[in-house]
Amino acid sequence: MSAVLQSLVNQPYKHGFVTDIESDVAPKGLNEEIIRLISAKKNEPEWLLAFRLKAYQKWLTMAEPEWQNVRYPKIDFQDISYYSAPKPKKKLASMDEVDPELLRTFEKLGVPMHERAALAGVAVDVIFDSVSVTTTYKQKLAEVGIIFCSISEAVHTHPELIQKYLGTVVPVGDNYFAALNSAVFTDGSFCFIPKGVKCPMDLSTYFRINTEGSGQFERTLIIAEEDASVSYLEGCTAPRFDTNQLHAAVVELIALDNADIKYSTVQNWYAGDEKGIGGIYNFVTKRGLAKGVNSRISWTQVETGSAITWKYPSCILRGENSVGEFYSVAVTNNYQQADTGTKMIHIGKNTRSTIISKGISAGHSNSSYRGLVRVAPTAEGARNYSQCDSMLIGDQCGAHTFPYIQVHNNSAQVEHEASTSKIGEDQLFYFSQRGIGAEEAVSMIINGFCKDVFQQLPMEFAVEATKLLSFKLEGSVG
Amino acid sequence: MTELPHANYLAGLLKSWSGKPVRPLSWLNDLRARAIDRVSQQALPTKRDEEWRFTDISTLTHLPYLPSRPETHLQRHDIDHLFLSEARIRLVFVDGYFQQQLSTIQNSDDLIIGNLPDFSASHSSILESHLTQYAAFDHNIFAALNTAFLRDGALLIIPKNTTIADPIHLLFIATQPEVTSYTRCLLIGEAGSNVTLVEEYAALEQFAYINNSVTEIALAANAQANHIRIQRESKQAFHLANCSVALAHASRYLSTSISLGSQISRYNLDIRLAEEAAECSVDGLALISDNQLADTHTCIDHVKPNGTSHQQHKCIVDGSAHAVFNGKIIVRPHAQRTNSSQSSRNLLLSKTAQIDTKPQLEIFADDVKCAHGATVGQLDPEEIFYLKSRGLSELSARNLLTFAFGAEIISRISIPSLRQQLEQAVLNQTQSN
Repeated sequence: MSAVLQSLVNQPYKHGFVTDIESDVAPKGLNEEIIRLISAKKNEPEWLLAFRLKAYQKWLTMAEPEWQNVRYPKIDFQDISYYSAPKPKKKLASMDEVDPELLRTFEKLGVPMHERAALAGVAVDVIFDSVSVTTTYKQKLAEVGIIFCSISEAVHTHPELIQKYLGTVVPVGDNYFAALNSAVFTDGSFCFIPKGVKCPMDLSTYFRINTEGSGQFERTLIIAEEDASVSYLEGCTAPRFDTNQLHAAVVELIALDNADIKYSTVQNWYAGDEKGIGGIYNFVTKRGLAKGVNSRISWTQVETGSAITWKYPSCILRGENSVGEFYSVAVTNNYQQADTGTKMIHIGKNTRSTIISKGISAGHSNSSYRGLVRVAPTAEGARNYSQCDSMLIGDQCGAHTFPYIQVHNNSAQVEHEASTSKIGEDQLFYFSQRGIGAEEAVSMIINGFCKDVFQQLPMEFAVEATKLLSFKLEGSVG
Repeated sequence: MTELPHANYLAGLLKSWSGKPVRPLSWLNDLRARAIDRVSQQALPTKRDEEWRFTDISTLTHLPYLPSRPETHLQRHDIDHLFLSEARIRLVFVDGYFQQQLSTIQNSDDLIIGNLPDFSASHSSILESHLTQYAAFDHNIFAALNTAFLRDGALLIIPKNTTIADPIHLLFIATQPEVTSYTRCLLIGEAGSNVTLVEEYAALEQFAYINNSVTEIALAANAQANHIRIQRESKQAFHLANCSVALAHASRYLSTSISLGSQISRYNLDIRLAEEAAECSVDGLALISDNQLADTHTCIDHVKPNGTSHQQHKCIVDGSAHAVFNGKIIVRPHAQRTNSSQSSRNLLLSKTAQIDTKPQLEIFADDVKCAHGATVGQLDPEEIFYLKSRGLSELSARNLLTFAFGAEIISRISIPSLRQQLEQAVLNQTQSN
């Protein structure tokens, strides 16, 4: 690996500052008391406490999974604080009342809020540690009947919707980390698009973990009723700590007849230093249910951060003619590990799914694509196309693919392709011949490699993702 | 029939082992003792094991399946329809026991071919350095069982720089119902040698039995082996096979495996490209119907640079049959300039047929060319329409296309009489009625 490439990777983490805001932190440890405490602090109704306790009981009977292709020391679940909220905690009516320290934080992060939000045309719900801080554009969205608020607010204002849908796509006992999340989740975003409404702007949630030793367990629930459509963005950062922090979120999407949900993520949690110390464990369960006919669920993700990324945004294609899509770029460097991919479960007739996954590994990192395409006996005429490409930068990293294909219907057509490549000396030579320096050449090659995915991102995110990638790999090629 | 727990099944096997006569050689006995020790520490795999996720073998514990007995009344005319006219050297094993009177061995100067125990004294050092060195049994209960019950087996040592022109035919025939046969092969190709080996499993009648087979192949520098494996066991049989191949510098291994028989068959093929510039080409075809299950697990391990591997696996699944394919390709750190391709193509002929395929890449080197692909589908309606427009009936168009799908693999078999036999077998099975 030449020096230019080498120096390209080792760009320091930009979002690694800690915001000095007084936090209200629950004592470390997990037991029924803590769950009751979280529930009481959030002034929750009885049924939600019952939901949490059921999940907790389920979690106690489950074992931590071990099949994944990532290695990490055992997590001590009693050493995590399950609740951390910025103080003061009085209700905020406008941005002016938000702690100025917090605003400066978002300023530093470049989160489009307030007037800047108007320019960007994005409604933002900001989750700081575990609590939703502010939601912009709520009024404007309410005019067309869209509910966009934090989930803890929705519990009070729209309990019937939460009760009807929460845990229907990801049941409390779905997996170890989903059960944990269901027991202790503190906040998250809730979005409801009523019948026939096309959401006039992109909705966005911004997540940040600020307190050392706290876990973040947010819960997102998005419902698109008949003929509704929404595009939703999610961004994540965290400060730099030497300890590992756990992020175990659950995202549930529900699309009814002819509804369309597009969910995009740019994940840039702190990845640990170049020796692999610190960083976020990002163990997330994301699943969409394409319940109605002609419904569509599309996942786009750019995964650049986290010490360990372990998630499989999935689609359950139940409605006839429903469509599932998954576009992913996962970049790992230093000692990062990523085991990510998707599940496409074809149940309804003529369901279609597309999977495009691009993995880039540099340094000592490992990235895996793990995917499942299952065609149930009922899925007449199902169609799937998968493509997963890996790029290796340097000879210390690894790239893996584990595509599971299970077909139980003979009218289905399933295709899977995978390839592995590298940035070759000859490619760099070609660029330099044309007067393009190695650094820019690498950035161009990588952007070309990821083009299919970036095209799926909303404009502002695509720009951010392109930049993020070139920062991320700064110093790894050459 | 009541289901015996797995532990009882293994306990019964362990009991039957202790009664076996002691062989004269101590190292072989040590090996068997070590293997039986490993058996007692393992359990039969269940669907909860990732490697056996799609293959449920719990039904094999329904019957005791004691080890087979050596006596046989088989005459030459009973089995001569299985002989290949091209093969002048043939070893015949009945229920895992070597049958001298049914075999044809032509002794030449250095070529060593015959029953393994006959050479255990005269060639003990070479046997000791190869036997079980490739098919490790520490974490493989069926390889451990096979080693524990190791008695007869085919041994081939191809001398240096020698090309054996005619194919060598190893014929394993099952005649006893409700027993377990332990069959074994060891092929050692010395530097620069070249051999074509046909390993065939057949049954004369339709009944249930277990065949547990282990094949080990070691090729020295520049050696070549063309390994053709035909599995046409009884439709009620269990076929549990492990084949391990080790390739030295610039050696070449070509494999074609055809799986037609068995209620449940499992074939593990592990190829280790242990030195530079080794090459392998691995082709497979599973053609199954009714309630059959055919499971192929391959692992191609590129340890050193400049290796090449190409793999094509096809499954044709009819009835309520279930085909499983798991093809793993590993490129170890520093195995630069590896060139590897893999394709898994599957044809589902009926509504109730099932496919589980998983082409898997694990890559730890950057300067490599690796690609894999998998498809599952049915016959293309446009192709059928084209043939119909040329005057073929719907049925014959379907049969022709299905045959052509399988024939791509069979056409790679270099022995004309065997190729014809297999083409006929595919035709018979693809003639839907």
